[in-house]
Amino acid sequence: MKKYLLVVIGLAVSMASGLSVFALTAEEIIAKVDANQYITSARAEAEMVITNAGRKITKTMVSITDGENGLTEFTNPRDRGTKFLKRGDELWMFFPEAEDIVKISGHMLSQAMMGSDFSYQDLMESDKLTELYTFTLIGEDEVNGRPCYVLEGIAVEGKEVSYYRRKIWIDQERFVGLKEELYAQSGRLLKVLTVTRVEEIAGRWFPVASVMENKLRKNTQTEFLITALEFDPEIPPGTFTLERLR
Amino acid sequence: MGRVFLTKLALKNLLRHRNRTLITAIIIAFAIFYYIFLDSLIDGMTQLSYQTLIDYETGHLQVVTASYWEEEQELPLDNLIGLDEQILTAIRAVPGYLGSSPELAFRAMLSNGVNELPVVGKGIIPDHFGQVFAFAGQYVDGTIFQLGQYQAVLGQRLADLMQLEVGDYITLLVRDRNKTFNTIDVEVAGLVHTSNPNVNSNYVYLPLDLVQQALNTDGQVSKIIVKLANAKAAKRVAGELAGVLQTSDPRLQVYAWDDLEAVTVARAKQAANGLILVIILIIAAIAIINTVILAALERMGEIGMMKALGMQTKEVVYTFVLESVGIGIIGGLIGMLLGAVGIWALNLSGLDYGAWFDLDMASYGIPIIGKIYGAWNPHSFVLVFGFGVLVSLLASILPAYWAADKDPVKAIYHR
Repeated sequence: MKKYLLVVIGLAVSMASGLSVFALTAEEIIAKVDANQYITSARAEAEMVITNAGRKITKTMVSITDGENGLTEFTNPRDRGTKFLKRGDELWMFFPEAEDIVKISGHMLSQAMMGSDFSYQDLMESDKLTELYTFTLIGEDEVNGRPCYVLEGIAVEGKEVSYYRRKIWIDQERFVGLKEELYAQSGRLLKVLTVTRVEEIAGRWFPVASVMENKLRKNTQTEFLITALEFDPEIPPGTFTLERLR
Repeated sequence: MGRVFLTKLALKNLLRHRNRTLITAIIIAFAIFYYIFLDSLIDGMTQLSYQTLIDYETGHLQVVTASYWEEEQELPLDNLIGLDEQILTAIRAVPGYLGSSPELAFRAMLSNGVNELPVVGKGIIPDHFGQVFAFAGQYVDGTIFQLGQYQAVLGQRLADLMQLEVGDYITLLVRDRNKTFNTIDVEVAGLVHTSNPNVNSNYVYLPLDLVQQALNTDGQVSKIIVKLANAKAAKRVAGELAGVLQTSDPRLQVYAWDDLEAVTVARAKQAANGLILVIILIIAAIAIINTVILAALERMGEIGMMKALGMQTKEVVYTFVLESVGIGIIGGLIGMLLGAVGIWALNLSGLDYGAWFDLDMASYGIPIIGKIYGAWNPHSFVLVFGFGVLVSLLASILPAYWAADKDPVKAIYHR
């Protein structure tokens, strides 16, 4: 009997180790994605197309980031001059019409940014997902004809995160996230982000077009297109100060 | 000539010029009536706004932690209080205790599956809630839920805005204590329409246990709201209760309804209304002065005659001032009578303020609930009466002097 048990355990162990040889672990996959997508500093021109019940609004913007801080200025006629400044954990907004700087905090962070399906909080989330979530590889799938790893992240107990659970589809070859589903603690699907175009920029595969859908609202989606991207641009000193926001 | 004679003469003059006396008095009476009526109305409005706050939002006392109170606008999920038996016993032992209701308030996005709207959610215990708040009888449709049921009560206005009816399902997107999104899916159990606009369009009420579970707050609440028999005692009771509660939890603080910001704001508004009343008083004074001066000028000839007959300036002035005071008293009495009748008439049915502030209320097919009733303020009756008499007195001195000082011949032939 004892011998039989040993055999069973041995078999189980070898099968488990065999699996991990066969594929990458969840941590390794995330680390590869981070290495590929993580931006230290960049300047981007982007377009946001908000569709709400058949009505389309296009907003254009220019963003500069140095990894920790970011400055976004809207350039379409309607919102021209509206600026967002992210300084560490803080988010500030400048309205040219009121000539006033507003700090966005507390419950305001949960609200939709400029009428889109992104909340301010979505923009504020730091990228170090591995610190906030415990990821497991739950399977393989295809998105737009490309084979993907499917990872599931559950929030680490006690950490302040917006979404309790997230499901990520990662391109097996290019290590770019192609799709993401964000869930509430109750299990309800809140948002879906789908990457529609990936391009190679300066030797890195980068998602340049994506669609965000808020699943609690019907008939709305926000398309986010990066029209120009430059890594390690020259950032004038003082770019990320409140004085420069005016 | 003796005082008695002059006084008699003044009284005789009042009766002799009956029409003039009456017309002047009526002008004074109208000024006084106007003041009394408006004062009563404004006070009635203030009382109503206090009542609306107490009956639907704040109760008489709020038991919270001091640090929660500072950030109450944000409805944070920390610095909460546990429903310890010790605390509850202390609250129940308060003099004039009528009921208490725990509440866990939070911000949420209300979604009907199509649109989202930011609202304030409140987790409550229905039985306790009913003891403190005047929701009974305010249900337009459906009724309150029970603990443990996945149901909600919201204002009719909010429901109309989101196109919801009783039996529809709604989703509340919330952030729990760790700022993690969570959703609460509930059925609309009841719709209310009250005289509190916040309740009608901003609040969603849910079973407390459900909310605590969704927000991960471990049986804690934001505040405990207490209703007392006597609203005026609130401040004193708050102080006593705070002393008792702090022995079991030093973080606790008790705030009376009249310490609330909304009440302070209402008080400031009332001060502004006081300014309006002062302006009315000034207009009334001008009317009185004008009438008294005209009356004196008209009687220039009479004054000249009195002087020609040997009356001294001082005596003439005395007679005239006394006459004027008499008119002031008559006007004041008529004014108070008119004011009392006015308030009584107002209170017969109440003034339907819905018709002023909430014009589209009728489109909801709801009987208008908020009505203003005039307040009885004896002190304002006394104040305005005294004011009327005093102004009549002061206003008559100068023209009387001016006329009485003239050469009798010139006064008689002044035209």
